Amino acid sequence: MSTVIEARRPGVRSWLTLVGCEAKMVVRDTAGLVVPVLLPLLILVMSAQSAGDQVVVGELTALEVYVLPLVLTMVLASIGIINMPSFLAYYRRSGILRRLAVTPASPAMVLVAQVIVSVLQALVGLAGALAVAFLAFDARPPVDLGAAFAVYGLAMAAMYAVGMIVAAVAPTPNSAVAIGLITFFALGALGGMFGGASGLPETLAVIGERLPFGAAVAALSAAWVGGPVDAVHLISLGVATVVGVVTAALLFRWE
Amino acid sequence: MNSRETGGGEPAIVAEHLHKRYGHKVAVDDVSLRVEPGEIFGILGTNGAGKTTTVEMIAGLRRPGRGAVSLLGLDPRRDRATVRQVLGVQLQESYLHGALTVSELIGLYRSFYPDPRPADELVELVGLEEQRRVRFEKLSGGQQQRLSIALALVGRPRVVILDELTTGLDPRARRRMWTTIERLRDEGVTIVLVSHAMEEVERLCDRVALLDAGRVVAIETPAGLVARAGTQTLDDAFVALTGKQLEDVG
Repeated sequence: MSTVIEARRPGVRSWLTLVGCEAKMVVRDTAGLVVPVLLPLLILVMSAQSAGDQVVVGELTALEVYVLPLVLTMVLASIGIINMPSFLAYYRRSGILRRLAVTPASPAMVLVAQVIVSVLQALVGLAGALAVAFLAFDARPPVDLGAAFAVYGLAMAAMYAVGMIVAAVAPTPNSAVAIGLITFFALGALGGMFGGASGLPETLAVIGERLPFGAAVAALSAAWVGGPVDAVHLISLGVATVVGVVTAALLFRWE
Repeated sequence: MNSRETGGGEPAIVAEHLHKRYGHKVAVDDVSLRVEPGEIFGILGTNGAGKTTTVEMIAGLRRPGRGAVSLLGLDPRRDRATVRQVLGVQLQESYLHGALTVSELIGLYRSFYPDPRPADELVELVGLEEQRRVRFEKLSGGQQQRLSIALALVGRPRVVILDELTTGLDPRARRRMWTTIERLRDEGVTIVLVSHAMEEVERLCDRVALLDAGRVVAIETPAGLVARAGTQTLDDAFVALTGKQLEDVG
């Protein structure tokens, strides 16, 4: 008597179940939703009224030129740099990835599902901020919509790449949150998160503009106005992406 | 090459001269064993005897430094995808998605297999009927352990490796788990049981490998071990054969 064992990979249903489970993990981690979703909204609501009255170029106000690019960048940066690494560190520490390694699902499946969910989370944060800006404060959409999407995509890659560095160097889930928060606020401060880069000493402002947060804000702002996006900012985002991926590939441990 | 023929007569597991070191520390020095199909095979030893490292190599989680493993005629590392269909593993101290409930976790693990056991049957097998809607992080240690065992059985495995089956369980849950294991044996499942607990080994195991300092001291039936050591109990036989006291946990 003999039997044939089939090597079968989990199918679509399994992927959907996994994405659903990862989504539940994210939604039930209430504290993890505050920074990516509520903090940007708070900043938007607090500054939208006055910013909406200051005309900067043409019909665009400070709301579109400064506030929205900043708020949308905050959504991406907080999810990529704080949330994603803390989930990764938790999974690694707790042995969840190891447990999955003895099932037909691979740990990589979990990570892909995690990325899908976190992109969805970023889109929810984005949609929330835009809905409030458009409906409550009469914001206008970007003049160059294509460039805005392209910049947003590139900025997302750069923020996740920075997050991968955090995940790679953090020894524990706790330190991942700490390192993520410090990185987020440092990049944010230099990128104009606390009252605009013009208030910073010039050297710091120049550095901040070349780091991923400041570069993302500046490039998004340019796309909103419809002006040319400065190559320096695109290169900065590209370099951050490459450096992050390479560093993570060299340093990241599964266990 | 997606499928393999496995004969009905060949051993379920063959491990030959397994060796594993971590840095300078030798965890497993030389372990060889054969587990027959349908057998409950115990791996017994003190802490640090190399039990967990041995079963992790058999499960394909660790690469042996030297030696070879064959599981139903397959190589656990090279034929990973195939082996995962027929092998269920309960790891020591493994954690699951903390914010998911018992039902959600069972649903997730069921989705990985083509013909999973029904969720109700799994919950009943380990006695978690009352905890279906409780999050993993809110379960007691014993309940987490029982869920972990249920998840090892989801895919109707032909070989199951259970590392510390009943450590941390209360006596009632422990007896219930023993009944579950006997039910699996009746279904023809091959079971490898890593254990500290003599009572458990005596009741369940057909044969036992006694490990000490990374080596196999003896492979025998529990009664055979007692006879060979010339002692009254398995506890005493263990001491006689290894010169060490077995700390009976739980």
